[in-house]
Amino acid sequence: MKVLVCVKQVPDMESKFRIGASGVWYDETDLAYRMNEYDEYAVEEAVRLKESAPEDIDVTALSIGPERVKEVIKKSLAMGCDRGVHIKDDEYYSKCPHSIASIIYEYAKDKNFDIIFAGLQSQDRGSAEVGVFLSELMDFACVTTVVDFKVEDGKVMIKKELEGGKKIIIETSIPLVATCQSGLNIPRYPTLPNIMKAKRKELKTFDVSEYYNVSEFVKTEKAYYPEKKGGALILEGDVSELVEKVVSLVKENTGLIK
Amino acid sequence: MEATREIYWNVTHSVAIPMYILALIAISVMVYGFYKRIKLYKSGRPLNRTDNIFARVIYFLKNFILQLKVIRVVKPGVPHALFFWGFALLFIGTVLVFIQADFTDPLFHIKFLKGPFYKGFSLVLDIAGITAIVMMIGLFFRRFFYKPEGLDTIKDDYIMHLLIFAILITGFLIEGARMAVTELNTNVSLSYYSPVGLIVAKILSPMGTRWILTFHKVIWWIHFLFAATFIASIPFIKFRHIFTTSANYLFADRRPKGMIDLIDMEDEKIESFGVSKVEDFTWKDIFDADACTRCKRCQDVCPAYNTDKPLSPMKVILQIGEAAFNGRESSQLIDTITKDALWACTTCRACQEICPADIEHVNKIIEMRRNLVLMEGEFPGDEVMTAANEMEVNGNPFGLGFATRGDWAADLDVTIVSENSDVDLLYFVGCYASFDKRNIEIAKSFIKICNAAGIKVGILGKEEKCCGEPLRKLGNEYLYQMLAKENIEMFKKYNVKNIVTTCPHCFNTLKKDYVDLGLEATVMPYTIFIHNLINEGKISIEKLDFECTYHDSCYVGRYNDVFKQPREIIESAGGNITEMSKHHYESFCCGAGGGWILGDEKIGEKISVKRVNMAVDTGKPALVSNCPFCLTMFEDGIKMADKEKSLKAYDLAEIVAERLK
Repeated sequence: MKVLVCVKQVPDMESKFRIGASGVWYDETDLAYRMNEYDEYAVEEAVRLKESAPEDIDVTALSIGPERVKEVIKKSLAMGCDRGVHIKDDEYYSKCPHSIASIIYEYAKDKNFDIIFAGLQSQDRGSAEVGVFLSELMDFACVTTVVDFKVEDGKVMIKKELEGGKKIIIETSIPLVATCQSGLNIPRYPTLPNIMKAKRKELKTFDVSEYYNVSEFVKTEKAYYPEKKGGALILEGDVSELVEKVVSLVKENTGLIK
Repeated sequence: MEATREIYWNVTHSVAIPMYILALIAISVMVYGFYKRIKLYKSGRPLNRTDNIFARVIYFLKNFILQLKVIRVVKPGVPHALFFWGFALLFIGTVLVFIQADFTDPLFHIKFLKGPFYKGFSLVLDIAGITAIVMMIGLFFRRFFYKPEGLDTIKDDYIMHLLIFAILITGFLIEGARMAVTELNTNVSLSYYSPVGLIVAKILSPMGTRWILTFHKVIWWIHFLFAATFIASIPFIKFRHIFTTSANYLFADRRPKGMIDLIDMEDEKIESFGVSKVEDFTWKDIFDADACTRCKRCQDVCPAYNTDKPLSPMKVILQIGEAAFNGRESSQLIDTITKDALWACTTCRACQEICPADIEHVNKIIEMRRNLVLMEGEFPGDEVMTAANEMEVNGNPFGLGFATRGDWAADLDVTIVSENSDVDLLYFVGCYASFDKRNIEIAKSFIKICNAAGIKVGILGKEEKCCGEPLRKLGNEYLYQMLAKENIEMFKKYNVKNIVTTCPHCFNTLKKDYVDLGLEATVMPYTIFIHNLINEGKISIEKLDFECTYHDSCYVGRYNDVFKQPREIIESAGGNITEMSKHHYESFCCGAGGGWILGDEKIGEKISVKRVNMAVDTGKPALVSNCPFCLTMFEDGIKMADKEKSLKAYDLAEIVAERLK
């Protein structure tokens, strides 16, 4: 069985963000990078699957981005993936989720992958679209917000999170794309021998031009800081009155309650 | 009549041959026992502990002969030392008898046990013997009747008490029997030089000469057989400590306190890291287990043990010995000791400081933790793993953006060395003083002090990373080295020569651990730095009287012997210190060492609460410390102990900065 895990390197969310000169994305100075949280669940799940049948399963970790994204590929290898693929793209941020999915598709289409794990969304862009687009391009089944994943006798049993924290169990089959939600697993801490071994694992780099053959569906117009809107409203008084006030305020000012 | 005595009196020289044959057998058994034991020590990895042999011998003699480490705990240390000196003198006396009777006299007709020397010899041995007996009685009552908490009595202890009492008492019986027949009749004035023997002689003499002569022969042989049994038994029971504990002084770690072996991360041949089974330890680690006398001093001072955590440093050492010597559960060593016990250690070093056998507890625990972290990816809790991941990304355990590390200094007179590296000293701030709101006060106070002294102080700002200390103590050598190398690279880049720290963990790590990674700068804790500024008159502080107690942090106190300077600083600021029940070398850890600053104690009482209560017991309103980790623990501990009304925690730098003139 061949498994692909899509990983993205994102800035640490505690970093000091500044809008870059292009005006459409953040400036990279003073940012610390890490693996996208949801992709860590994806890597962990792929590695757990591999551990169930180490001889039969081969896991490839793929990342698109500049040179620095090799760090997250190496981390995936240290966690237990077998090989890494780096699609080098310094302009990754200017590409829309569909383009990113297309690039992955162009790489993956003839590689006979059975399962593709991806994070539910990235922590920086948060579109939650790449995995879904990819499944469509690959013509794979797609399950999003996966919180439990089991392969039993050729069937895939998935627990998926719904809105409001409810969960459903889905039966599907290979091939498929699964986008991973927090709660799926606790990503392991790579052991030192595995970190050492990862250095010797295959890590191929391709230039994005080899796989990028679509035009942009969506173009970022402008990035900006959230506007500072009026100050807070402080309510005082009896608790039961306060509840009434809050409800009416929420009704008036938002569409949350009708 | 000349003062002397006839050797082999009554038993005659004919006993010499059977006696020497038996003695030879006893010694052979002893040698064989140790030979087998040494083979087991050698199952450990090699380690050179015979370098600098002259200094080692001096250290050995000092501690072996003077029993310096033993007497540090007065009860039962002093009785042990007195017993030891008594027994040693008896041993020397016996050797002198042997030399005269079977060497100098038969070969050269030289007898030296006569005249005034004999009188002194006789008196000294009598006093030595009675001292040994009295001390043994005391130790016997302590062990079997007034048993202190945690004292573990095993089969060996019964045998040892029996043999020692038997040898000492039969010795006096032989002397008394001989004196009853000889000196009491022929040379009464000489008998006064054997006061104990004289009493025994007086008791025996009514029995009549013939009875006494037979009694003497029988007791002589019994005494000898007990002595031979004693010699033969040494390697097989706890008597072995006579050799192993003293040899442990010879093999002591002579590096600065707290040095940890570096793992070579470039060596791709290493397949296993840390210790998971006995053979992964060095021979010295195994030998330590034999040097342990179960005196449980380490356990008595251990902050983890004293707060109901599953760690006893003594038990860890004994479990290593159990696995090494009985081949029991060697591969499940960590399971036997338990992970919870290994994680509970705060690396405070109180156990090693108090150990009379110079056993190295802390590094063994760190080695086993290395195995857990590096080979299994385990941590004492998820919060610790998260902190380790944050360290990797942002260089601090809080997960705060690395670029904000220098923000605390924004409005202060501090130079960021990347902008201008021309500074008098580099202040290595550390994570807590950089990011933690309460501890930023320490950093600010320190800068205020430097400014007042006219010292140009620089910081690395966002280029500084965690020194890696908590990670290293948790066993995460890989991440420690990664952070340490990045810091060292910065020090080299800006040609840093003098570093001052406000965190003892940073201090100890930069000063000692970083040397192994190539740091050459001088590193000083702010305790000494401020003390120097005051002494040199570079700053003057107003003496405002206040009452306080002072907490010695482990890494400035025990690890680096800095006790006097911080106390003098407090006194010159007008502080009147009332010491807590545990202070100086016996100070009680705040609970943050060994990586625990990153973790939540889930087992037993909180160490910080225990320490805060010790401070509360002094009745003083202020607890002054010299470490951001301690301050953090005390702020929390005071809240948890609900003592906010009676105690406030301060850092030394705050006390000084407030009083600057």
